[in-house]
Amino acid sequence: MKFVIPAVFVAALVAAPFLPTYYQGLAIYACILAIFATSANISLGQLGLISFGHAAFFGLGAYAAGLLNFYTGMNYWLAVPLAILPGVALGALVGLASLRLSGAYFAIATLVTSEILRLVALNWVSFTRGPMGVVVHRPREKWLEALTGRDFGDLYLMLCILVLALVLFVVSRVNRSLIGRAWVALRDQPKLAESVGIWPLRYKVIAIAMSGGIAALAGGLFVPRVLVLSPDLFSGTLSATALLAAILGGRGAVMGPVLGGIVFAVAPELLRVVDEYRLAIFALLLLVVVRVRPDGLISLFPRRKTVHIRPPSALVEITPRQLPATLSIEHLSRHFGGLKAVEDVSFEVRRGEILGLIGPNGAGKTTCLSLISAFLSPNSGVVRLGQLTLSTLSSHQAAQQGVVRTFQHTTVCMDLSVYENVLIGTHLLLPETTAAAVLRLPAYQQRECKRQALAWAAICFVGLEERANELAGSLAYGEQRMLSIAVALATRPGFLLLDEPAAGLNHTEALVLARLLTSLREKGFTIAIVDHNLRMMMKLCDRIVVLHHGRMLAEGDPVTVRNTPAVIEAYLGTSDEPEKQGATDA
Amino acid sequence: MELLLQQIANGLSLGMAYALVALGLTLVFGVLHVVNFAHGEFYMLGALVTVLVVKSLGLPYIVALLIAIVLVSAVAWVMDIVAVSPVARKPGGDQIVLVSTYAAGLIIVETVLAAIGPTPIAVSGFSGIVHFGSVVLTMHRVFMFAAGIVMICGLYMLFTRTNFGRSLRAVAQSDYAAKVVGIDVERIKTLTFVLAGGIAGLAGGLIAPIITFNATMGLHAGIHAFVVVVIGSMGSIPGAVVCGLSLGMIESVLSIFLGQHVAATLIYSLLLVTLFVRPQGLFQGALR
Repeated sequence: MKFVIPAVFVAALVAAPFLPTYYQGLAIYACILAIFATSANISLGQLGLISFGHAAFFGLGAYAAGLLNFYTGMNYWLAVPLAILPGVALGALVGLASLRLSGAYFAIATLVTSEILRLVALNWVSFTRGPMGVVVHRPREKWLEALTGRDFGDLYLMLCILVLALVLFVVSRVNRSLIGRAWVALRDQPKLAESVGIWPLRYKVIAIAMSGGIAALAGGLFVPRVLVLSPDLFSGTLSATALLAAILGGRGAVMGPVLGGIVFAVAPELLRVVDEYRLAIFALLLLVVVRVRPDGLISLFPRRKTVHIRPPSALVEITPRQLPATLSIEHLSRHFGGLKAVEDVSFEVRRGEILGLIGPNGAGKTTCLSLISAFLSPNSGVVRLGQLTLSTLSSHQAAQQGVVRTFQHTTVCMDLSVYENVLIGTHLLLPETTAAAVLRLPAYQQRECKRQALAWAAICFVGLEERANELAGSLAYGEQRMLSIAVALATRPGFLLLDEPAAGLNHTEALVLARLLTSLREKGFTIAIVDHNLRMMMKLCDRIVVLHHGRMLAEGDPVTVRNTPAVIEAYLGTSDEPEKQGATDA
Repeated sequence: MELLLQQIANGLSLGMAYALVALGLTLVFGVLHVVNFAHGEFYMLGALVTVLVVKSLGLPYIVALLIAIVLVSAVAWVMDIVAVSPVARKPGGDQIVLVSTYAAGLIIVETVLAAIGPTPIAVSGFSGIVHFGSVVLTMHRVFMFAAGIVMICGLYMLFTRTNFGRSLRAVAQSDYAAKVVGIDVERIKTLTFVLAGGIAGLAGGLIAPIITFNATMGLHAGIHAFVVVVIGSMGSIPGAVVCGLSLGMIESVLSIFLGQHVAATLIYSLLLVTLFVRPQGLFQGALR
């Protein structure tokens, strides 16, 4: 199975020179659309951002290569790789914008960007010759034609096939690296991604810059086919083609957009017999495919089974990264409108302890946790980690400092396997660059092995090794809770902040959890835990902080706290409450 | 100064067409939570039906307009059955609806192109001119603006005074909650889609005498409606109306000083800036 796709490419390369000219032209167009759709799929499939303006990158690449050739006389084939740069630059800008814009707003912003570029190309007549367009001469390489005995069409098609293969190679390697995992995490569970230290800005910029570069490459490759640069290279129809080809082919797989690109190139030609109705019938077919196969045409092919992982040979121990200081929370306040969710709260989390945070519903426990992990910024007060002020950092930076939280609602990527989820958690272990992910040199592979070993250790620690290959969505609720702890552990946190880890667990599961947390403390982890299971909390915690209506009610060891009158009152109410009287009367 | 006033007056009628198209788009987004990529085609179809009925059946314009509304609503109903409601229900449906509605729109445009051809067809609406001080407007533009106002007021009454309107607003806020209180959510969504189609058909029929019909006019209108809806906040009806009218006026006024393309570039740049400064549009808040 692994060799099918490379074999198809080799076969295509061998067959390319023997095709009649008409079919060569069609195949070239198919390759270019496949590259273009692959580019659109990086933002659509990996980040979940719909771009209606991918022609902006495509046209930019085409114009950059064509104008370089036209004005400087540079060899066209040297200009094409250079034309990738403006695509990357615009992609990086759009990536920055994508932090603020999502969904329909992102779509319209990209649509408008490509429309602005189209209007500029149309009206900057002195530079682009406007609607007349710039004629680019067919970039023939006579020496190469003489050397190989092949004509221009043969070589052009072979080049397109090679470039497509190269693009797919790069994209699939990046997808399966730490970068691809960060993308999926940002798409499916943005909060989880930040909690394990993934910096959204960096990964969105990488994704869209890469997408823009590939689209620009496709644009550059397209020019020798049309031989004229016209503003239509920025047209909305072209953007729609890339997007729809990716969806038609299938967003989930690397080969999906390729399949979609081929269909978009070939189908309208096949339908030539029906003459002017061909596009209407093509649209009808598109509609049928989308209705019957929403996952795209690629879902008709047998799926490659998920790779079964083997436990790494060298098992590592899960340990916290060394942290020198205590975590101190000083006069922390956070208001939502008129609601004072947290008001002047101060306490410390000391190294090596389990600190419990309890209080009735609405006491501000989760808000407190979000403030400590920098998911919320306080209205006043600070959170310090030694010399460092945490509360001015963003959440992924807090994770980098070793302060990692879990969430009250199960937050894992349901469509990924248990193992893949935990691998996301190892994000911070070792830094990685895009180039390293593509090249996969031995040093990279060693780093990846270390991440895998750590992920495996985290899975074993929570006892999910039997289910490591199963989808997170197929796990039982209790197992999913354990999985989210494993993900957090894979970051090797100095401070682990758990938000209601026992919520919804049965008695046995809660006992297992308590044992797990105790052994984490023995390994040197510091834990702050919010939970309603008081019996567990009293047994487990070294110290307990009680919150009520956003304020500190008590602090101390479990026995002291349990006997504090104010705490009893907050939980049970006072003995002579008038409301209760009223209720019995009614 | 006179020219300015004149262009503002002309812009108001053009803006009314933008507003009506955008209103349907925003309604569909607010209630169905999907983006209808084929919405501009309803507008084109409205113009087409009006033109054909007047030209080949020889019926009066006003009758043609009514027929256009009915027929376009029917097309919208079919599109909902074929390309929207069964797709939107599936997981990840909001993305797939983009493709299915794009395909449906393409079917409509290509069929019209194949059957009628790309040549523009003109039709005359109401004749006569009206003077407002120094400003001169054709009777048709005045009628168009008035019809738009009536439509918007009618919709306002529909949303606030009727059972259907209340159900619609409930669905806009939460499918789930609406279902819990016994609203037939699927029916409301279908009706909303049909209503949006009918409004766009009306807009197309109204604009036909002003800009002459051609088969690709839906695409341009679709993009403009999109701009209007985004600046006016997705799902907000006042936003769509105010921004639609403003866009029409700004376009008209800019056309005094600038070429059509430069004006469009300026408007699009304005949109980008708006998006960065207020990512949720100017009229925040859902359909209420």
